[in-house]
Amino acid sequence: MRSEIVIIGGGIVGVTLAYELAKRGEQVTVLEKKYIGSGSTFRCGTGIRQQFTDEANIKVMKRSVELWKKYSEELGFPFKQTGYLFLLYDDEEVKEFKKNIKLQNRLGVPTRLITPEEAKEIVPVLDTSEVIAASWNPTDGKADPFFATTAFAREAEKLGAEILEYTEAKDIIVEEGEIKGVKTNKGMIETGIIVNAANAWAKLINAMAKIPIKIPIEPYKHQGVITQPLKEGQINPMVISLKYNDAYLTQTEHGGIIGGVGVEYGPTYDLTPTYEFIREVSKAFIKIIPVLGELLILRTWAGFYAKTPDSNPAIGRIEEIDEFYIAAGFSGHGFMMAPAVAEMLADLITKGRTDLPVEWYDPYRFERGELRETALQMG
Amino acid sequence: MRPLDIYEKDPSKRVTIYFEGTPLIAYEGEKISVALLANGIRWISISSEGRKRGAFAFGPALVKINGIKNKDARKTKVKDGMRIERQTYLEYQGSVEVDKSKLPEKYVIDVAIVGGGIVGIGATLELQDYLTVALIEEKGYLGGDMRRKSVPVKEFDNKEAKEVVKDLVEKFNENVKVFKGTTLLGIYRDGNLFLLSAAKGERLVEIYAKKVILATGAVDNFMLFENNEMPGVFRRDFALELINVWGVKPGNKIAVVGRKPEDIVPELERVGIEYIIVKNPKRVEGKESVERIIDIEGNVYEVDAVIMSDGRRPDINPITLVGGKIIFKNGAYVPVKSDKNEIIEGVYVAGSASSLKNHYANYLEGRLVARYILNELGVGVSIQELKEEFEKINEEIEEPLSQVDLSKLNLEETYICGCDVTLKSVVNVVDGGITNLQIVKRLTHLAMGFCQGRYCLFNGAVVVSKLSGIDMDKIDLPTARPPLKPVTMKVIGNE
Repeated sequence: MRSEIVIIGGGIVGVTLAYELAKRGEQVTVLEKKYIGSGSTFRCGTGIRQQFTDEANIKVMKRSVELWKKYSEELGFPFKQTGYLFLLYDDEEVKEFKKNIKLQNRLGVPTRLITPEEAKEIVPVLDTSEVIAASWNPTDGKADPFFATTAFAREAEKLGAEILEYTEAKDIIVEEGEIKGVKTNKGMIETGIIVNAANAWAKLINAMAKIPIKIPIEPYKHQGVITQPLKEGQINPMVISLKYNDAYLTQTEHGGIIGGVGVEYGPTYDLTPTYEFIREVSKAFIKIIPVLGELLILRTWAGFYAKTPDSNPAIGRIEEIDEFYIAAGFSGHGFMMAPAVAEMLADLITKGRTDLPVEWYDPYRFERGELRETALQMG
Repeated sequence: MRPLDIYEKDPSKRVTIYFEGTPLIAYEGEKISVALLANGIRWISISSEGRKRGAFAFGPALVKINGIKNKDARKTKVKDGMRIERQTYLEYQGSVEVDKSKLPEKYVIDVAIVGGGIVGIGATLELQDYLTVALIEEKGYLGGDMRRKSVPVKEFDNKEAKEVVKDLVEKFNENVKVFKGTTLLGIYRDGNLFLLSAAKGERLVEIYAKKVILATGAVDNFMLFENNEMPGVFRRDFALELINVWGVKPGNKIAVVGRKPEDIVPELERVGIEYIIVKNPKRVEGKESVERIIDIEGNVYEVDAVIMSDGRRPDINPITLVGGKIIFKNGAYVPVKSDKNEIIEGVYVAGSASSLKNHYANYLEGRLVARYILNELGVGVSIQELKEEFEKINEEIEEPLSQVDLSKLNLEETYICGCDVTLKSVVNVVDGGITNLQIVKRLTHLAMGFCQGRYCLFNGAVVVSKLSGIDMDKIDLPTARPPLKPVTMKVIGNE
């Protein structure tokens, strides 16, 4: 078979890109070795935030939130702007966040520094006895990764995209710097354009194409927890506490409290949940919201952060191979970025340019030793 | 005697508890769920969607005790003056008290055995002369399914089942540490050892072991009929425990449903409980709990309880939790194991967790696995004779698949999962072309609740297979993750 464009990876990034390309009239095929969303997408913590600390990420996330809003209405999946609440515990943190808020405000993200009392109004179960302030942006939010991903996939298919599940890329055929096709476990697909959207597995795909530059993306094991469901509206925003082990937590559509902490292992492709995690996540959550202590933990699980040295993804075109693109290495915040990344990359592929600051994610920056300011890598 | 007591309880242990304000008689040592049932109270909790729930079908048994919400009525013992109230599953306690004196307990032993049934007991007896053993049992008693029966067992000199257990347990020596009322939460690799985390009441227990035996047993099949989760519906194992451990009958007139009435009827006859066998149940009805059962032909039977006795299947959750693989064989998913019953290096399986067979064969398999481990750890013991005896009597039971006719049921009132997942919602998804159980799970919330699919995944697979034609052995079953059973954050997060 033949396809104009082949996307390797059927996670949120791969399917949103397929959707954008199909919408632009391109003929596109997604290869997914298991089922749609089966990698890190369905294992992720649902959060969508614009509270970043550099211009590029703030701009991209501002656009992404616009798209989350638009597509959730158009495609009918839940996205709720319930905000992100960073709890701050000392002057140092407050100073840092004041700086970030100023930058976010300048770029049109309405973050505010609020008092512990205001934070408690937003999440009444919070223990604010040690909190001295909080960074609050009501336009951040959360979406259900499963419903969002399947909605984008279905819509892409309606527009003519082909999504091949249980189809694994085994090799990439490049002749004289030109892509000829992808070998899969189900046969050959001829194509001239490949996008590597395999995130945690991106280095394997890069190796198949013999990419001549260093793009260091490594899989790290992160874990999540979910509790028994509670009545709606108990913890609306994503609550973050850097002090307590980089904890993040919120309530899902279904009512359970979902979240994680900064316990990290790797590089590894192992996904076995650990004892350290379940202990540490419980300790941190009880500190932040003591009443969570009486809740039953139903499950823990693991997924990958595909990490780069500066926690920013590699997005762009690889010049040495015509035409190979990469969108991988999202370092824990890929779900939230996906709609904007898809738009950015679709424009790049079809028009050769984008209005979004894609150069920040330049895949060549590692080779050149120009690491970015480290992006905050949490949910 | 209370309305459902089978015999008079020790009057010196009598206490008073209050349910929804009404004083009731209970006896020290009883679980709340048992004491309430003895008083004729079956409806004790309310599901997320507002369905009435008892303690003996599926779903959690959450109640408010002395104003504290989210307590498990199946695990909490009665105390004099205790006030118990109904609550919905979605409520939570507004304040938390963490008992800092209850720090995690740590033990280092040679072999950890999970499951204190006849299998775990047999393995313990083989190991105790040479090695230290931790025997972990979730219930407050040892003996598992055999302790829940009184009928004689011919291979054990025709002794009564529960007497066999009692006699064997008396032989335990000082090398054996028994953890009763202790729920396994996770099994993790820790260097050359395994770390088993468990909860004993509010205390976290950490057991380090060289080898692990999963003697974790089988689970009863949950049957699909309308209102199958309402108070007054009993799983066979719960019904047996009530009769033989607590001396309380599930009801005064019981309908036995399912393909294996012989697994419960002798026990009902022995204590003289009136019963009828109802083939092809379609629906149960009642205001607060079961008042009648109606079969597919439209016959109506007035009863106050229904016992589902429909066979058992290995509990695959402990198997997949440690990374063991499963295959579909003889109508059940069973662990893939080596010829020495190892499922991953260092973790062994025995008993009905391994395959379905009779109690005595399970017992021999437990002993056999213990001997494999002894040899593995350098204690030379002979295997041959025991192995031959086991192989001679080991007849695996074939479990036919449920023949439930979906077209004859109101699917919206038939529950496949205790967390308010109706059969209708699953059928809709599969009819919509989704046959991947992993996706069915996410779309319907099947297997994502309190039991991690223990009582619903199998039925989910049956429905997918039936509607799509995909073979049972081709269905990708979700893997269990820690905690194996729900545990509160304060227990696991206590420092």
